Amino acid sequence: MLEELETLYRSRLPEFRRVATAIAGDRELGCDAVQEAFARAVRKRRSFRGRGTLEAWVWQIVVNAARDARRGRLVFAEPHDAAANGHAPVLPLDLLTERQREIVFLHYYADLDYAAIAAALAISRGTVGATLNAARRTLRQAIEEVPT
Amino acid sequence: MNEWLEELVPPIRGDGDWDDVLRRARLPARRRLVFAVALCVAALAVAPALGVLLTRDGGPRLPREADRSNVVVIVQPATGRVVVQAARWKGHDGICYLVLLTRAGCAPRSARKTVVLTPPLAGYTFDRRVVSGAAVSLAGKHVPLVVRRFEKLDVTFFLTRGRMPRFLREATLFDANGKVVAHFTFKH
Repeated sequence: MLEELETLYRSRLPEFRRVATAIAGDRELGCDAVQEAFARAVRKRRSFRGRGTLEAWVWQIVVNAARDARRGRLVFAEPHDAAANGHAPVLPLDLLTERQREIVFLHYYADLDYAAIAAALAISRGTVGATLNAARRTLRQAIEEVPT
Repeated sequence: MNEWLEELVPPIRGDGDWDDVLRRARLPARRRLVFAVALCVAALAVAPALGVLLTRDGGPRLPREADRSNVVVIVQPATGRVVVQAARWKGHDGICYLVLLTRAGCAPRSARKTVVLTPPLAGYTFDRRVVSGAAVSLAGKHVPLVVRRFEKLDVTFFLTRGRMPRFLREATLFDANGKVVAHFTFKH
């Protein structure tokens, strides 16, 4: 079990870090959340019942750790700062709910399918699809409205 | 939208640090150890008081009238358990005793007096002739008795050997010549 966790860590670390960073809103916090999440997984590995995949179970822990990191943050990132400098495009992430953001991040950054996202967030597959579609609509409308 | 997401959080390269994960995973184990040690310390601190409470409210103890400055004991070798405690009866010519943690009392001295307490078989005698004893179990098996004389108290205690109480049919105390000093039969 420990070896499988290490293999997962080494093979999927960029994706874990990227999603955790997106959720936490800070790269350092995101990377730290991944470390902490895997430490939790190592400690609780005996509680993994094998009802889903090990990766889905770890994703659930990573998402929770990233949420904790975001809540523990003292200074919240300003999403429009970078855009003001003209170095980053503007997208109104604030228009998305927390669940919509997490599903978007897991789908685009980790390339997880609906089933894996559903397992990672402990929700149904249908909810994943509906939520992702709603998030896409919101983002497309926002992109069209933002002057470039 | 894909482009925007690509730029929102650029890919994060790096091999990571698995050893750091393992180090973090061990931290709670240390916390558990510290907690366990603290629990042990607390238990040790509370144990004497708890012991006093349990002893006070539990079974018989050596009576208060006993002269505790000079207590004699018989220890069961196999278990280290104290099976007999005895001392002078303060202000009287007699003894106070605690036998097998079940029977306690004080008794005046009487030259030939022998007291048998059952079950399990145990007792004392002021008869100085008694040096040995034996009993017969319900199955007819002969079992020797432990017999100990305490010169200071001028009393002899006797009891069955072993941890398990035996159901006995009769018991006999002997003098140095093997003559019967006292004989008891038990009804069940």
